Amino acid sequence: MAATSATDYVKPRRINWGHILLYVLLIAGAILILLPFAYMISTAFKNTGEVFKTPVQWIPAKLKWDNFTTPMHEHPILRWFKNSLFVAASVTLLNLLTCSLAGYSFAKFKYPGRDLLFGVVLATMMIPLAIVVKNLGWVDTYWGLIIPAGTSAFGIFLMRQQMLGIPDDLLDAARLDGCSEPRIYLGIVLPISRTALSSLAIFIFMWNWDSFFWPLLVTTDERYRTLPLGIALFESSYGTNYPQLMAVAFLAMLPVLIVFLLLQRNFIEALTMSSVKG
Amino acid sequence: MQTTETAARIPLSEIVVPARPWWRLTHSQQRKLWGFAFAVPAMCFFALFSIYPIARTFYLSVFRYSVVEQPKYVGVKNFRNILGDHRFETSLINSFKYVAYTYIPVWIIALILALALNTRIRGRGVFRTIYFVPVVMSWVVVSVIWKLIFHRMGLLNTMFLHPVGIAPKNWLTSLKLAPDAIEMMSVWKEVGFFMVIFLAGLQNIPTDYYEAARVDGSTGLQLFRYITLPLLQPTILFCTVIGLVTGLQVFIPQFVMTQGGPVDATLVLTLNIYQTAFVYLDGGKAAAMSVILFFIIALVTLVQFVLYRSRGQS
Repeated sequence: MAATSATDYVKPRRINWGHILLYVLLIAGAILILLPFAYMISTAFKNTGEVFKTPVQWIPAKLKWDNFTTPMHEHPILRWFKNSLFVAASVTLLNLLTCSLAGYSFAKFKYPGRDLLFGVVLATMMIPLAIVVKNLGWVDTYWGLIIPAGTSAFGIFLMRQQMLGIPDDLLDAARLDGCSEPRIYLGIVLPISRTALSSLAIFIFMWNWDSFFWPLLVTTDERYRTLPLGIALFESSYGTNYPQLMAVAFLAMLPVLIVFLLLQRNFIEALTMSSVKG
Repeated sequence: MQTTETAARIPLSEIVVPARPWWRLTHSQQRKLWGFAFAVPAMCFFALFSIYPIARTFYLSVFRYSVVEQPKYVGVKNFRNILGDHRFETSLINSFKYVAYTYIPVWIIALILALALNTRIRGRGVFRTIYFVPVVMSWVVVSVIWKLIFHRMGLLNTMFLHPVGIAPKNWLTSLKLAPDAIEMMSVWKEVGFFMVIFLAGLQNIPTDYYEAARVDGSTGLQLFRYITLPLLQPTILFCTVIGLVTGLQVFIPQFVMTQGGPVDATLVLTLNIYQTAFVYLDGGKAAAMSVILFFIIALVTLVQFVLYRSRGQS
């Protein structure tokens, strides 16, 4: 009887002021984070007269869809979009191959010079990107945009961390069965690592979608620009038409935003994995 | 019985192993070779696109060089020019100021957010996602949006300053405000990244430590001071390295929003290198600046690595 009365008695809940304060802070922060995006989207649909009203007019009187179509007629924006997509996708594929191979090599093989090579990989992270060397033969080609980004120290590091966890017995068993090394890599190592591979793919794609400095150096022709580069130079010439600028910025943001919202768990896990284990 | 006896009678030295031709590798040698071969593609990319360019940059830093003329050896003249160049000094100071005024607030805010999200409150996942959104956005897109926000008639002036009676400010064209404006934007963009890293670090701390300390009657602040901070040190060091190395190389916001102006107020090192090489066509001087930037980054990384090692041992 005593036990039931103890459970029946519900302690009147005290208001937890700490939690309320926490919520107020977190919600205020979230609003500050989202406000610029709301401002961009709202501006993308305004006519030029509505942009600079005080107080801010959040909902335009009439949605102006021209802001999206007019810049497309004046600039090869669709082509920039395709360039970005093509370059980022190719770089991602290349990285998946080179990083998984090198990560496998550093994690599961012992050979003279291995630690030295891995040290070199880590050291390249220190090389500043502002290097003025460019191969003039590759200006305005897709090769010039893709090949130099063909591998990444971060990717190798991530793959190595992942592959250290593969049991050696599994690989040795395959070797005893007469499996060749390339087949072990293709048939066992890659399938086991698919989560890490997908995380790597997301990161490499995102970074290269955003890549700016290198494309700026190796493109002079408008037709080979990637989207961020196109927008930056479009901005400098059409800086005054903010609604159109915001419309284009919105289009450029969309693919990454969608990928992120779909795969955000992988994003954050990959980041966590690389920081904690590193 | 018979067979084992005869086998035992053969001396070991007489057992003939079929000779392995010298070109046939043993299994373990083969495996080593495969292991090395797997690393080769990535190493080729590094050699061609990381190591060769940095070596070439070192080489060019002692030449007078522009796109139009042949390189001409000038010794350390480029470096001597840089040391007397107030514009280089300005850009170096601007870069370090940018790092300090961006990343110190970022680390503090990110740590507070991570602590807040490491509790058992509802909607943690939603908040984490929202705060992370700016991280995945392109710097160019973000810079373009914020350029409008900082406009004389933009969001910041009309929505936040106007209601409290502050006259609109020219954020991006004022000597004093332009660096602050860009730092403000960078804090907004970078906070989510470091929050996630701090959160990972916090979740790695075993909860028993806190429970044990609470039993001993420790207050929340003591828990933070004596358990959270010490155990978070590897994460904090990781964050400082990442912050410094990326912050010292900042380029896009200044390039898009101010072009280094007004009057070099936002001229950071990387932008200076870019302009020296491709606007003023002084490749040798730009290479020398890159070399200096390389040593600064290497030094920063090394110092923190040494710190990390010494703390780890004690």
